[in-house]
Amino acid sequence: MTNATQRIYLWHRFTLREAVLLCFCATFIVLTRAGLRLHLNLPGHVMFFTMFFFLLARGCVPKVGSATLVGLITSLASVMLGMGAGGPMVLVKFLLPALVVEVAGIVSPAFVTSMLACAAVGVLAAGVRAGANTGVEWLIGMDEEIMLRKAAVSAALNGLFGGLGSLAVPSVIRRLRANGLIDQGTGTR
Amino acid sequence: MLKSRTEPPLRKSLRSGDYGCQYVAHDSPVHRMGAAAKLVFGMVLTVLAAGVRTPPTLLALVLVTLGYYLAARLTLGDLWRDVRLFLFQAVLVIPLYCLVHGFAGGVWPGVRISAQIILFYLPGVVFLRTTRSVDAMRGLRRVIPYRLSFLVFVSIRFVPLFFRELEEIGAAQRLRGARLLPRQQLDPRNWRDLFHCLLLPLMVRALKTADEVSRSAEARAFGLFRERTFLDAAGRPAPEPGATAPQLPVPLDSVASGACCHKLDNNSKEI
Repeated sequence: MTNATQRIYLWHRFTLREAVLLCFCATFIVLTRAGLRLHLNLPGHVMFFTMFFFLLARGCVPKVGSATLVGLITSLASVMLGMGAGGPMVLVKFLLPALVVEVAGIVSPAFVTSMLACAAVGVLAAGVRAGANTGVEWLIGMDEEIMLRKAAVSAALNGLFGGLGSLAVPSVIRRLRANGLIDQGTGTR
Repeated sequence: MLKSRTEPPLRKSLRSGDYGCQYVAHDSPVHRMGAAAKLVFGMVLTVLAAGVRTPPTLLALVLVTLGYYLAARLTLGDLWRDVRLFLFQAVLVIPLYCLVHGFAGGVWPGVRISAQIILFYLPGVVFLRTTRSVDAMRGLRRVIPYRLSFLVFVSIRFVPLFFRELEEIGAAQRLRGARLLPRQQLDPRNWRDLFHCLLLPLMVRALKTADEVSRSAEARAFGLFRERTFLDAAGRPAPEPGATAPQLPVPLDSVASGACCHKLDNNSKEI
């Protein structure tokens, strides 16, 4: 995606175009969260689109740090728009799944084209997000047994929605690549 | 009976906004506090919420936090909107405690934990309810690098645009027969249409917009320096009388070379 006229803009790896594209992925997460919060009250449902756009961002900009940047911008934008009651906890809630996507990207750079790998990463990353709430509960001294039961229910629901959202990523990535709109995964557009 | 003009208008509704944690404009002591002061006070309350264990301290903290909330001229209707998600948690936590420790031994710990969870998050809610986005952004600019804050502002700025795009693409695709109505999306077999007829075109639109935004910003020498810069309009020679105004106030090459760019310190104004 980088050509000769584009300067590196952020973190010694992203051009301005890539950074703006990633911030648009964050915009979509914010938009879908806002849309869902007005209609649904299902626990964990926000992970459906959150994981979809995290993985899509990793597929569109296949560089280390892309999912983290999306997570960072999403959390800051959520706080600005009054969607993050947890304050600093919002940062943790978005950065934890983003870091799981990063690790998956480092281990297997081409995982976004595999449906199975995407589903596994989606379930794991969305499940890890439930850990942020468990951290708060541990901090306020909740009984360990109850905390773990609650965390298991929360992680299962988050994982379910996250996994379902991630399943669609490979086909979308393939179609974007087939039309030459994004990096082919080999550094060429 | 005549009323004084300085008297604040009476509240017509118990709710101040359309959804929970939404900013509401009131004249209250909490609104007048600085964003940093609210953050510090909120953090103190949050730490205390994590630490309380006994009924008297919990009651005292509930009163203080509730007082802080109501001092922002927020109503009990607002409070219900803000904390109802946490109340659903209480519905889960209290029965779990009763299940594990029995009714007598489980009620108080369950109530305490549920109250603590609400108290943990409530100062953050007050911050969001009483702080304008502009003030929060101004504070944010002091903390994070300008390149990152630019991306955050772009992300927020493009929310309405992409919302419109989403509506337009959705309407066009529905006319073509895509099953995108909310009740149609309850069937997982229709999720394919959601991704391929709505989100894929939206992503293509995002790629095109990212191209345009980045080219436009780079043409204005944005991001050329490590620190923020501004154009020195006063440093340019005055135009000849009767001469037509140039399309660009400053030649792009001189901007790119940094001839007219000045570093922006905290006291100077943006142009």
